[in-house]
Amino acid sequence: MYFHAGLILAVIAVTFAVAKYFKLSVELSMLLAAIAAGIVHAGGAIPVRHLVEGSFTYLDVCLIFITATFFMNLLKESGGVAFMVRKIVITFHKTRLLCLFFLTVLLLIPGALTGSGAATVLTVGTLVGTVLSYMGISEKRVAAIIFICAAMSAAAPPVNLWAMMAAAGSNMPYVGFFQPLLVLSAIGAFFAMFFLGAKGKNVELEKALKELPEPPEKMNWLRVGIPFAVLIFLIMAGRIWPFSTPTIGLPLMFVLASVSAILLSPKKLQILRIATETIHSLIPLVGIMIVVGILIQVMALSGARGLISLGVVTLPLWVLFSTLFLILPVSEGLLQYAVAPLLGVPLILLFNMKGMNAIIALSAMAVMWPIGDILPPTAVVGRATVMELKFKGHYYKDFLKTALIPMGFVLLVATLFLIFSNELSFLVGG
Amino acid sequence: MTDRNLLIVKLVSLALVAVALVIAGIQFHDHRNYQEEVVKGPGVTQVKKLSDYFEPLKGSINDCNIYIIDSGVPGGTAFLIGSSHPEEPAGNLTAQLFVENAKLAKGRLIVAIRANQSASRVSRPGDAYPLYYTIETPWGEKKFRMGDRWSSPLDSWPDPEVYVNYPSGQLLAYMDVRNFNRTWPGRANGMITEQTNYAFMNVIKEEGVDIFIDLHEAELEYPVISTIVAHQKGADIAGMASMLLTSTEFRIGMEYSPKSLHGLSHREVGDHSDAVSILLEAPEPFLDRVRGITDEKLLLTGQDEFVVMAGKYGLLYEKIDEKGWPIDVRVGRHCSTVLMIFELWGDFNPGKEVVIQQVPRYDEVVQNGTGYYFRDPSKAKTEDIYYE
Amino acid sequence: MAILNSIISVCYYLISAFVVFVLAKSIIKTKNVQDAILYSVMLMPFILRILRIK
Ligand SMILES: [Zn+2]
Repeated sequence: MYFHAGLILAVIAVTFAVAKYFKLSVELSMLLAAIAAGIVHAGGAIPVRHLVEGSFTYLDVCLIFITATFFMNLLKESGGVAFMVRKIVITFHKTRLLCLFFLTVLLLIPGALTGSGAATVLTVGTLVGTVLSYMGISEKRVAAIIFICAAMSAAAPPVNLWAMMAAAGSNMPYVGFFQPLLVLSAIGAFFAMFFLGAKGKNVELEKALKELPEPPEKMNWLRVGIPFAVLIFLIMAGRIWPFSTPTIGLPLMFVLASVSAILLSPKKLQILRIATETIHSLIPLVGIMIVVGILIQVMALSGARGLISLGVVTLPLWVLFSTLFLILPVSEGLLQYAVAPLLGVPLILLFNMKGMNAIIALSAMAVMWPIGDILPPTAVVGRATVMELKFKGHYYKDFLKTALIPMGFVLLVATLFLIFSNELSFLVGG
Repeated sequence: MTDRNLLIVKLVSLALVAVALVIAGIQFHDHRNYQEEVVKGPGVTQVKKLSDYFEPLKGSINDCNIYIIDSGVPGGTAFLIGSSHPEEPAGNLTAQLFVENAKLAKGRLIVAIRANQSASRVSRPGDAYPLYYTIETPWGEKKFRMGDRWSSPLDSWPDPEVYVNYPSGQLLAYMDVRNFNRTWPGRANGMITEQTNYAFMNVIKEEGVDIFIDLHEAELEYPVISTIVAHQKGADIAGMASMLLTSTEFRIGMEYSPKSLHGLSHREVGDHSDAVSILLEAPEPFLDRVRGITDEKLLLTGQDEFVVMAGKYGLLYEKIDEKGWPIDVRVGRHCSTVLMIFELWGDFNPGKEVVIQQVPRYDEVVQNGTGYYFRDPSKAKTEDIYYE
Repeated sequence: MAILNSIISVCYYLISAFVVFVLAKSIIKTKNVQDAILYSVMLMPFILRILRIK
């Protein structure tokens, strides 16, 4: 069994590496690795049913992802996001710290709803980046701030895909994560913003406003706020009157909030085009989740998943505590969301066994993973950041290096949460 | 790449995907529609439908058979259900063994073999379960569906943002709205799994069930294992059963159903009806996360090197060695435990006895194999064959 | 309530169908070989769900 599972792991690693060498995308390399592993396991046959079945593993998550991003894109297209950024700048241009504070809150919203850091970069990242650069913050610092805040927004509740995927894999309710995730992601985002952005000047209001896109004249707080209110109402209604409301589900809640955004938009939105573009822009992310499901199924089939789990759970705790801050981001850079079921699930098992608070521990891990989205080979959010901000510096020497201190800070705080999970169990809730 | 080549790649990849969809689609379709044969045993006096107790389920996938074995002699009424979680095969195998063999000398026994049909007709994505397993019998192989813990999304879509158990108001994971052992006592206008629990509560009330047993299996990593979980109303019986079984047949624990944990049968059936509710857990290494190759062999033998290794590191709540936990051992445990509980029920409640005959105990099941106790459908009269 | 829940369920099939529609359109349009292959693979769960097979 050890040999067989080890062999499968080797086949996966080699196929993935060779495919990457031939310039295949991460998704296709992973798919090829899964197919190769499946064939070796089945002794030459293709386990078709398992490949197809695996693609369903994260279907629900994909739908949340698609509909939430559609909602955010509508707000962007209707001018709602530009409106909010301008209002923050106009109101607080004299008090720098408050200005930074509200910009951070704004940055946290899209990722919190969609679970994706890329969504933050694409919807509000550029606009906030423009404002920051008119506050005397250097280009590389702006890029680092946007990345860390985007990563923290992905970690922020209610939707944290890593925690959801790992919890689902260990039959653990995704309940009680709201507060620990909020505390961790807020600490990380505010630290990055104030550490990197503290020094500088007040906004050059005229210049900043000139560069920010002009929202439609009729845009106001009600038009921006009501769609969010609809969303929050639907979520709360399901919790407050669960037995007299129908089962709507998060994806449809986002669709309904989107409908309100469309109705309230001061300008006519090309809904079909936005919906098409949303899905199109999400294809890499949805694609990777589908492929990850296929890979996980083949690994479960062949015992490779068991071998990894066994390896993880038989490590002493102190080894985990002192290495997870490296292992989690690096594995995220390598495998994306696949890490949550692969490493997260056995770790939860171990933490439960050792009497730790699994919700706090998983929250801590679920904040460390997104930090890895700046690391190669995938670097999904890091690449999106430099592309959207039209960053001219060097990716590693300027961008990554500037982000290192806040990254280290987040990892340190999260590691402390891991170690002191029981002492922090009062945070569980929501 | 030229446009022509690009077009070829597109067509080829679409064709390959189409082929894969057809191959897998046929397998999924056959699995969902596969009917297991049940030969009505000599004791079965009536076979009703679950929808007889709750009309809206009529014609739905979860309208399972309700087998009634009536001795005709006044006594108590017991209710035994399998496949609350269809990924735990010892449950439905034991329930079917009772239907095909049990004769009653006193009282009545009601049995549901596949309590959550929908979950028994879907496989779990990402976990690579086999679609079927076969049990050796003296007359050939008997094939069963391997199911999932949760009802099929085809019968219950979408899941709520968070699942709120009725009526306790306890928050549970969103997918647990499809978990038959988290949706008790059910809700008439809820999703299909909640409706199914509601229908089962109606069976319990209308038939005047005195004692209710829910058959499960669990991974060795899970603390509630090899045990009898009892509602406080049945604690004396469960405690006594655990003691007697441990001293005569095999080691089995007993624990109280936690009062604050809602949605589970051992809590809600006892709280919301006059019945005493009890849940049995047998060890199933197949469900362990550290398991190695996931296949029918592991499902039936319960032998796994990785799980054994996890045990050596003290990560498990039940012993395991290279002999594993074969299905006959698990079914045998369930048979003996159920029989012991019914015996004690009679001792504690004179006049309400449920006296069961012709059901094998642990030793016999382990010796003869589970399949020995299944009847050959090809030799049975057509009207005696039922489908699950 | 049962009717409402069925209507909602239908909405989910429609959302899935829309995803299939966009994916199909993307396959036709794309100039990138690798994307074309990935998009075809992504169709799998959505198609089987719409057909109510899995
Ligand atoms: Zn169970």
